Amino acid sequence: MSKARTFRGGTHPPGHKNLSSGKPIKRFPAPEIVVVPLCQHLGAPSRPVVSRGDEVRKGQEIGEQNGFISLPTHAPVNGTVKAVEDYPMPHRRTGPAVIIETVSEEGGRVFEPWEDYSSHSPEELVERIRLAGVCGMGGAGFPAYVKLSPPPDKKMDTLIINGVECEPYLTADHRLMLENPDDIILGMKIMAHVLGVSEYMAGIEENKPDAIETMRSRGCKVVPLKVRYPQGAEKQLIDAAVGRKVPPGGLPMDVGVVVHNVGTAAAVAAAVRDGMPSLRRIVTVTGRGVVSPGNYDVCVGTPFSALVEAAGGYGEDVRRLISGGPMMGVSLFTDKVPVTKSTSGVLALTSGEVRSSEEGPCIRCGKCVDACPLKLTPNMIAMTAAAGRWEMAKEFGALNCMACGTCGYVCPAGRYLVHYIKKAQNAIRAGMGKEA
Amino acid sequence: MAEPRRFELAISPHVISNLDTRRIMYDVAVALLPALAAAVWFFGPRALLLVVASVAAAVLSEYLSLKFMKRPVSFVLDGSAVVTGILLAFNLPPGVPVWLPVVGSAFAIVVGKQAFGGLGHNIVNPALLGRAFLMASFPVLMTAGWTAPVNRDGDGTYSDTHGIPVVELAGVPGADAISGATPLNVLKQSFDLDSGAGAVELEGDRAGADEMRLKAASMRRALYGAGTLKNLLIGKRGGCLGETSIVMLFLGGIYLVLRKVLELRLPLSYLGTVALLGWVFGGGGWFDGNPLFHVLSGGVVLGGIFMVSDMVTTPVTPRGRIIFGLGAGLITMIIRRWGGYPEGCSYSILLMNLTTPLINRLTRPKFFGEVKKNG
Repeated sequence: MSKARTFRGGTHPPGHKNLSSGKPIKRFPAPEIVVVPLCQHLGAPSRPVVSRGDEVRKGQEIGEQNGFISLPTHAPVNGTVKAVEDYPMPHRRTGPAVIIETVSEEGGRVFEPWEDYSSHSPEELVERIRLAGVCGMGGAGFPAYVKLSPPPDKKMDTLIINGVECEPYLTADHRLMLENPDDIILGMKIMAHVLGVSEYMAGIEENKPDAIETMRSRGCKVVPLKVRYPQGAEKQLIDAAVGRKVPPGGLPMDVGVVVHNVGTAAAVAAAVRDGMPSLRRIVTVTGRGVVSPGNYDVCVGTPFSALVEAAGGYGEDVRRLISGGPMMGVSLFTDKVPVTKSTSGVLALTSGEVRSSEEGPCIRCGKCVDACPLKLTPNMIAMTAAAGRWEMAKEFGALNCMACGTCGYVCPAGRYLVHYIKKAQNAIRAGMGKEA
Repeated sequence: MAEPRRFELAISPHVISNLDTRRIMYDVAVALLPALAAAVWFFGPRALLLVVASVAAAVLSEYLSLKFMKRPVSFVLDGSAVVTGILLAFNLPPGVPVWLPVVGSAFAIVVGKQAFGGLGHNIVNPALLGRAFLMASFPVLMTAGWTAPVNRDGDGTYSDTHGIPVVELAGVPGADAISGATPLNVLKQSFDLDSGAGAVELEGDRAGADEMRLKAASMRRALYGAGTLKNLLIGKRGGCLGETSIVMLFLGGIYLVLRKVLELRLPLSYLGTVALLGWVFGGGGWFDGNPLFHVLSGGVVLGGIFMVSDMVTTPVTPRGRIIFGLGAGLITMIIRRWGGYPEGCSYSILLMNLTTPLINRLTRPKFFGEVKKNG
């Protein structure tokens, strides 16, 4: 076994993955009402093409793609449209959604199943992946077909499947690799075929030896990676796996690499082999605030509240509800929000699990500087942002920040560094960087 | 239907490391305890009294300042005032009256720290500013007499304040003249003899000049002797209260490294520069100094582990930390060789503290994946 690789910087938050890593994925039936967001992917929301009272079939397009960085949205169930309206969302305050009353869950195969993907051209496959509404399932939700159609002047040579899952608590990708490695590997092969690359591999952290073993036993090349947050961030994963550094403001395609999450690979396989649009995903429901943490195979549009109920309901003291992991996840004010294609986890954290300290003054220890995986100086950006010196914040690289939260985690003073840096980013992007 | 559940909203990350400011400060205080034990062992229980008085004054001044400025008094428990109090006392001769550390600590906290906005906002190290204040205000008390370590040996290894064992003192002509001087005082005297010899030679007294040069050389030989260096290492010599026992200071340093509190670039670049320049010009001529002597004498180890690496007043960038250590080491050695004081550690750190914001700005690390333009 080759030596595990990693990147420089980062930190080691406690994993808490054993809460749910041993729980096999349970299929969770669609609830009576599903709230299907039209903004599950990054980019422009789909434009709704159904209205109140319409009967919809499972897999039917209910929102059409609206621009290049956008995707179509499909009905995850057979049912009746109750409303098309704005609704609280896990990743933004509100967003457009199609609310459907479920009748049944049969069917959904809306495309012709392609038993042998290699007999289809890359263009056909990209088109299928686009029509199936596959987006990045690791968190950001970037439309998968866009990443699979690099401009002709960029030469791709490597595809990395991201099975790192470096966020604490989350085990959805881990379980998927254990229980459905064949779909992941098929999806990986399809994408390698589309991109015309011969080098493809899965990057997996060493804390999942069973997943590394399973994937290897199916003939998949695996790069074992050291357990270090944020090992799963695209730039850090590429650096660790193939030793290439994506420049600031650049994309993986600038160094000839494409990265896709394991969940995305499985969705690609389902779209091509089974003719199924992207309707379901694996979600980890965990935290000490739920009675019985576990991993669930759920259809998009399932409210968080239904999932928590499936996991035995809330425990005694729930302080924060989070969509995603504890490092980058978004805290929610309501559990009405629906699961989207990029919802990796539903976390109910107790007072004992979340940070309880007040913010103190920066003691300039430089721990954030040493830990920042992008080699920024978070404390300096935060300081300049607090003073409204946007130009200087930009000079210190505020725009490079991916908000991984490493700085905020290591800060002894408990500074809300990510908040200040995001504030600087917003101000700079709004053109406030020009000092009078 | 039941009342909807309420959830707290907050920015990510939602979890945080348990290494917080208070733990860092108390870890530093704990790391200073071995040196305090050595101070009590060598200079008597009075050392403890001075440290306790200093810490009490620092904490009380912190409390009163916060009260006066209507800021949360809970800050007083963050441990930083305790560290300042210990460090100030550690930088005083062991024989000073008890009110001196009290005045120094009060100045350090009120003027050096709280006047700038409290923890994290001070520009220079408060303890060193307090010491500089005492040096300027009470120069006689601060330099007049050095306490010799308690004689527990009975054999020839016992030393006076200068650390040279009795048995080796015989080889130094006019040994009485160096009684009561610290090792660096003795070194300074040898430099003075050298330059004095030049003047005497110009007057035509060649024999007298040669005698002075020989004496200077023999003083340095005695300082560089193995017996002296061993005394310096364990702390059997005169000096400021907490600076003498190098072994105990390193013990504290190792504790801080294990607790992930001490960042090694600062102390290593500082002590490395002192050693290198100690060899280059720390002796009488060029490239004949003793690097080990320069590291073991004076306060550079106390300074290197506990003050050059003070988080608040030193750079946050990796390169900046190395530059800071280089600069402080250079200033220390220039003062030791050519300055008006035998030791330059605390002024070198104070001066470099002032450059920290500039260093931070000029040494921004290269972004991940950043390449030189047209490189």
